[in-house]
Amino acid sequence: MSDLLDITRRAAALAREKGATDASAGSYRARHVEVAWRDGKVEKVSEATTRGLGLDLYVDGRYAAVSTSDLRPDALDRFVEDAVALARTLAPDPHRRLPEPELYRGQANVDLQLEDPDYGKVDATRRRAEAEAIEAAARGVPGASAILSVTTSVSDTRSESALVQTNGFEGERRGTDFWIGAEVTVLDPDGRRPEEYAASGGRFRSAMEAPEAIGRRAAERAIARIGTRKGESAVLTMALDNRASGRMVGMLFGPLAAAAIQQKRSFLEGKIGVQLGSPLLTVKDDPLVPRGLGSRLYDGEGIAARPFPVFEEGVLRSYYVDTYYGRKLGLPPTTSRSSNLAWALGGRSQAQLLTDLGEGVLVTGFLGGNSNGTTGDFSLGVRGFRVRGGRLAEPVGEMNVSGNHLELWKRLAAVGDDPYPYSAMRTPTLVFEAVQFAGT
Amino acid sequence: MVNQDTAARPATQAGTSEGIGYFARFGVTERMIAQTLATALARGGEHADVFFQHRVGSDLGLEDGAVNRAYATVELGVGVRVVKGDQTGYGYTEDLSLPALLECARTAAAIADGASRPIPERLHVRAGLPDRYPLIRPWEEIRPQEKLPLLAGLNERAFAADERIKKVNLFLRDESGAILIADSSGRIVEDRQPMTLLYLSVLAEANGRREQNGYNVAGRAGFDFYSPERLDRVVREAVARTTILFDAVTPPAGEMPVVLAAGSSGILLHEAIGHGMEADFNRKGVSIYADKIGKRIAQPFVQIVDDAANAGARGAINVDDEGNDAGTTHLVQDGVLTTYLHDAISARHFGVRPTGNGRRESYRHAPLPRMRSTYMLPGPHRTEEIIRSVKKGIYCMNFSNGQVNIGAGDFTFYVKNGYLIEDGKLTRPVKDVNIIGNGPQALERVDMVSDDLAIDEGGWTCGKDGQSVPVSQGLPTVRVSSMTVGGRGT
Repeated sequence: MSDLLDITRRAAALAREKGATDASAGSYRARHVEVAWRDGKVEKVSEATTRGLGLDLYVDGRYAAVSTSDLRPDALDRFVEDAVALARTLAPDPHRRLPEPELYRGQANVDLQLEDPDYGKVDATRRRAEAEAIEAAARGVPGASAILSVTTSVSDTRSESALVQTNGFEGERRGTDFWIGAEVTVLDPDGRRPEEYAASGGRFRSAMEAPEAIGRRAAERAIARIGTRKGESAVLTMALDNRASGRMVGMLFGPLAAAAIQQKRSFLEGKIGVQLGSPLLTVKDDPLVPRGLGSRLYDGEGIAARPFPVFEEGVLRSYYVDTYYGRKLGLPPTTSRSSNLAWALGGRSQAQLLTDLGEGVLVTGFLGGNSNGTTGDFSLGVRGFRVRGGRLAEPVGEMNVSGNHLELWKRLAAVGDDPYPYSAMRTPTLVFEAVQFAGT
Repeated sequence: MVNQDTAARPATQAGTSEGIGYFARFGVTERMIAQTLATALARGGEHADVFFQHRVGSDLGLEDGAVNRAYATVELGVGVRVVKGDQTGYGYTEDLSLPALLECARTAAAIADGASRPIPERLHVRAGLPDRYPLIRPWEEIRPQEKLPLLAGLNERAFAADERIKKVNLFLRDESGAILIADSSGRIVEDRQPMTLLYLSVLAEANGRREQNGYNVAGRAGFDFYSPERLDRVVREAVARTTILFDAVTPPAGEMPVVLAAGSSGILLHEAIGHGMEADFNRKGVSIYADKIGKRIAQPFVQIVDDAANAGARGAINVDDEGNDAGTTHLVQDGVLTTYLHDAISARHFGVRPTGNGRRESYRHAPLPRMRSTYMLPGPHRTEEIIRSVKKGIYCMNFSNGQVNIGAGDFTFYVKNGYLIEDGKLTRPVKDVNIIGNGPQALERVDMVSDDLAIDEGGWTCGKDGQSVPVSQGLPTVRVSSMTVGGRGT
């Protein structure tokens, strides 16, 4: 038994001692190291081992959730006592109970490989050498004389957490992740200083691309922004780069949360079984991908993780249902938060998709904007490239796209073969027809 | 600048082994701090500081007619920073024991590689900080039973205000924070930082359509912040801002004049100039405002400040998170760029005094130049005159969020409520539209400024480099002659 699990068990027991009927205790410990490098030298090194404890308290039908980084025994004792007293002042809530214990059972018997056994081999010298190598590669690309500044970063985390629930759940997990990235700023002859970035990472060091590749890509992307102009307002086909498409997908998935449905703040209420997207939209939530950034054997409530379909050929199949809002809605829980998304991919690369679409815009990044989860209306700042004759043309920026998700996803015309590997959403390039762009 | 009494007094009256100030309760002594600072400079760092933080937060939530959830958080920890030139070493821990502090100091010290530097023999507590958020009663003394009726009352009043309202969500947050900063110049500064925020969100339904919106108020204040007038406003605004959406249209797409209403429209300044003036970006040469100090960037009637001294404002601070004085900083005077927003590193880099903008989210983060309360001073025009001057444009009132690309200068803000302006009159309400511009260009195009400055009372939070800090913003009514409105159609 690890000491973290032991601490967590004691916290759950303490909650019961202080008067909680039930409790869910979660604790974590993580070591995080980050090196930032800029223009020939180390800019910043940060290193820490951090910890914390959280408790969900169920007190005579009432509920309070607390978290603390002050784990001194006396302080913790008083903190839990106060929290139980706080819960007692609230209105009772019949839906607030721990999950049904049968949902804990049936965890997949797979090794998710979330911890790199070679974590210990990374040291300060190596991080620094990589950070330096990223910059050197960035400054070696054609057109590098326009570069004003290169900031690179190398970071890694090792974390462990434990979850104990007084109706019979205990779990522990450990994981590592490793990231490298670069941000490059260039001088545009018009005086602007456009910036771009590239990043790569994963659970294992071996998931990362070489530092040189990241440095080059960030520099090439920044240089490609030189000469950016605002395009004209028009309705055009939009290709969303796989790096950017996660933002749009997140706006579709947010309103799938049971809390949004129950609180009537979702344009997707009552839409299970309804065709919302084009037949190309098939997405599964898959928590069991080996080395996946969102992979898990159990979720934050201890519920055994299982893959489930979210969209099948454009038809909505499932919400994200947690225990509490599931009880309020009378729906069985699925899981409270998405894990990894698995897409039905198309057979064509982004370059081929651009050839197919002929005239339009490739959006490579969003800037601000928002989506109204209640109505599905969205309006988002964008930058990217005009596509003409099936090829990338001039860079465009200071533009905006707007629409409604209930219309947008029906116009999904193509899905790329290129899931973005550095996000749990694993979004591919997505092509939408007839999108309203605002510009000049 | 705000005047401050900088008279110093010894750190402790009773000798160096006694606990110090607020953090005495956690066993923190002057001797521990001195040892930590000495260790931090053992490898040749030029400056070191130690940042202790204790922050206790409490939230009450109302949903479906009942206050049925409470959240309590405690953050206790310490960060140690070592600076050499532009380089920073940082370590932090939740364990306030001497061995843990020394371990952090050794981690941070490794940024430098040279001979040890001495620290002063005695530390001194800075006295006479301003008192910009005095409390009648600290939040620790307010029992939940006192707060509960406030939420229940607002819930009832929101439902009673309009029969179309079907759901009401309320959150009341209060926070008691304490920080202690000690640095290698021998200075110790302590501050107590309260915060409170109330959020009312409503969902309305009519003819099969739904609309949602809300209103929130925040400040460094105590329970008396929630005056009857303020609570009236919370209900009135939340309901009005939501129900008007049933009549709202989406504006056309394209460039047009944009009039920004007094108050939260200060988001324009936050995104169009505030971030770009944070000196770290300029020290690195990556801001579109690099090399523009002393240059004219706006009409002579444009004055922009970033102010720590608005008493009780969410963005107010008595001292920054590096222990430096924080007052009123003039970013733009008579249309000319005056100064960047500095932390200690950038101030040393540019050879100027720090402006008190060194802020951090918590002990887990090294400070960065950050805004506090950013607003434009009143100008020479009248609000009616400004609206009358626009033939076809948009009037923006309430906002949810904004963002900026520092170097390219492009920025956006998302409008939740506004009106079309047609032939000099506000006509139909508009909703859910993003507006996008370029910072220096938008400031250049601010061609009318009214005299009706209002600092917004909302709970704004600014994000940068993964760190969130509370801020405020304000604006008089302003006209920008042209920006791109992210609407639909023509």
